[in-house]
Amino acid sequence: MLIPHPLLGLRDSQEFTYLGDASLMQRPDASAENAEAQFCDYVFLRDNPAGVHRELWFHEQGDRSWLVVTRDTTTHEILGAELALDVKGAAK
Amino acid sequence: MLDHVTDLTPITALGATAARAESFGALTVTENAGLGLASLALRKGQSAPQPFGLPLPGVGTAVSMGDYAAFWTGRDQWMVEATGKAEVNFAAMLKSEAPECSLTEQTDGFTAFEIASSQGAAPIEALMRKLVNIDPKAFGPGQATRTGLEHMTVFLIRRADDRLAVIGMRTLAGSLWHALAVAARRLED
Repeated sequence: MLIPHPLLGLRDSQEFTYLGDASLMQRPDASAENAEAQFCDYVFLRDNPAGVHRELWFHEQGDRSWLVVTRDTTTHEILGAELALDVKGAAK
Repeated sequence: MLDHVTDLTPITALGATAARAESFGALTVTENAGLGLASLALRKGQSAPQPFGLPLPGVGTAVSMGDYAAFWTGRDQWMVEATGKAEVNFAAMLKSEAPECSLTEQTDGFTAFEIASSQGAAPIEALMRKLVNIDPKAFGPGQATRTGLEHMTVFLIRRADDRLAVIGMRTLAGSLWHALAVAARRLED
């Protein structure tokens, strides 16, 4: 499986390690009133879609960048990859 | 007290007093024990300096000028190389060139093996096909990358058509040499 790294082009998926759902980037506000409940959901609840899924991959044996990879969980087709830093920057 | 001072003999990453070199057909692998290394990272909002006059290279590339060279290792991060500076404090030299940046001495963490071909690019590319999942045709002179090689992480620098540098973790120097030597030897057949 090849991951289309936004900077480095197609790279072997063995160079990467997988973290999980890209929604982990949306960390709840620790100072909110219902922070405990929000963190409970953040830590324990995950969607488990059959189909398109956005997930975090780390280019461990490469440039050590975090990527948001869009993958179809039913076919393992990689639909795209973005730098997590850019995704985070765009969300602000 | 002075009676107890031992004469210390420096050894290379492969444990010998002299750097190892071995030829396998068209390929010669040489331990580059003299290479000084230091990493350079920009802090937020900084623009890239030009240490020793080196224009720091863009994504996936390397530059060299005289005794100094640099290759891209990540966004706003480079490794700077200095020929024959393994036994001096190269990081301090780099610090005076780029005082605002984050610098870390790396000489003692890595070992460099230089591979040279006497028959042009083909033997270098054949060796790469055996060892790494990087397209050798797209990895021409001036390209540099970090990738996996037999479960070890290495930096590859294509110094020229007929030259490739492999920089790996110093503690794995023996295993890395073994991997390179076995692959190069098999290419002889």
